[in-house]
Amino acid sequence: MINRPCAPLNVLIVEDEALLAMDIEAMVEDAGHKVVAEAASLFDVEDLDSTLVPDLAFVDVQLAQGTNGIDVCHLIRERWSDAFVVFVTANPLKIPEDYAGGHGVIPKPFSRNGLLSAMRYIEEGVCDPPPTSPQPASFIAAPAFAASWK
Amino acid sequence: MRQKDDWHLTDALAYEHGRGDPFAAAVRATRMPMVITDPAQPDNPIVFCNEAFQTLTGYDREEIVGRNCRFLQGPDTDRASVAKVRAAIEEETDVSVDLLNYKKDGTTFWNALYLSPVRDDAGTVVFFFASQLDVTDRVEAQRIIAGQKEAIEREVEARTADLEAALAAKTLLLHEVDHRVKNNLTMIGSLLRLQARNIPDPAIASKLEAMLERVDALATVHRRLYQSEDITRFDVGAFAENLVTDVVGASGRSDIVIDADVACIEVPSSQAAALGLILNEVVTNAIKHGFAGGRSGTIMLRASVAEGCASIEIGDDGPGFERSGAESSGLGTVLIARLSKQVGATPIWSDAAPGARFTLTFPVDK
Repeated sequence: MINRPCAPLNVLIVEDEALLAMDIEAMVEDAGHKVVAEAASLFDVEDLDSTLVPDLAFVDVQLAQGTNGIDVCHLIRERWSDAFVVFVTANPLKIPEDYAGGHGVIPKPFSRNGLLSAMRYIEEGVCDPPPTSPQPASFIAAPAFAASWK
Repeated sequence: MRQKDDWHLTDALAYEHGRGDPFAAAVRATRMPMVITDPAQPDNPIVFCNEAFQTLTGYDREEIVGRNCRFLQGPDTDRASVAKVRAAIEEETDVSVDLLNYKKDGTTFWNALYLSPVRDDAGTVVFFFASQLDVTDRVEAQRIIAGQKEAIEREVEARTADLEAALAAKTLLLHEVDHRVKNNLTMIGSLLRLQARNIPDPAIASKLEAMLERVDALATVHRRLYQSEDITRFDVGAFAENLVTDVVGASGRSDIVIDADVACIEVPSSQAAALGLILNEVVTNAIKHGFAGGRSGTIMLRASVAEGCASIEIGDDGPGFERSGAESSGLGTVLIARLSKQVGATPIWSDAAPGARFTLTFPVDK
């Protein structure tokens, strides 16, 4: 990848639980990044302004209106091919083996320390790979993403 | 008298006196019902039947002789089996078949029929010899067993389907409950974090912060349990390393070095929450007090098992216990003491010079 994004990253949050969306937004900002949009369903993501350019998306798997994060991941990869997608889910086993083109998963329930260290690790992996911090237990990188650092 | 009618003479023999043809006498007296038919006559009629045959069928000799064997058949006699007998007669071979036959009184019996041709010196079939055996009991028993087997198979099938449906329902319920536990734990953490951001009083904020870390420790315990292969066991060594890495990683303090040497310590999942909370108190405390004021240093973590006794050591190279107001009466200390007692662990604080050291020892299965 030639054009690596630099911190602060533009972050998209796709989460149907309002509390979790608020919490993740606060933690993303604590980590020094910028939340550019929030969405609760696939339809919300479809309706997003196309001038938005998210660098990183945190995507829940079970979403509002019967939609799911796997479809959202495909849509994000199609609309913003440079964006990184990280699933945030209570059911990591539901994520397909190829991560649907996504880059990793943060299993729920997450802790603040877990999410912050995951975010630091992802930031290193996105902006200045390979990451220098040890891989936190709170984040599992997709095999293809991890392989790109070698 | 034609030669083939010779055996008629045996009717007149007084076999009880041992005179006449001994073979004919044996055929008459045997308990096995027997008939002989004459294929040279029209419709292959019965020309001889013994006493046992009369007893079995309920007919007298006069009613039997001269008739074709088919008079024993009735509406429920299997046509295919009858066809087998007919084919054997036409092909002049022997045949063995179970037939449902009818007695004179209309009752039925299962007849194990054995029929074979009797040839003369030239090879011509001169008689058919047929023996019958009432095998009603055997056929009935087989029929009942087959019926029972079928009924049991149907029952097993129905039960299996019930159990599978019940299992599917329980699995769905379990997934649903599991999902809710995870989501609720996540939401409790989120609520506390959102609240903690809006508290101006630093003393209260720090207490809430500590509470948040305890809830987060529980969340991490739960996550590690469901992600492990055996949910009944918990690797407390890996959990401790996970905790230290997360706390240091989240602090963004690249000046704190982690020195970890951790073996797997498996405990039953029932002890996971208590041990997780104890370690959380110690680790967060070490980071807060051992490296306060931007002091850099090393946090040490050791986890080992020897002879049924596990030991987890957490140390810092900070100011040790002389440090400002190490809270001996705080909730954290109480939690460590009570939870240690609960899981049969012994907590020991020691001065390591430099720094403070905490050692938790507890028995484990060998």
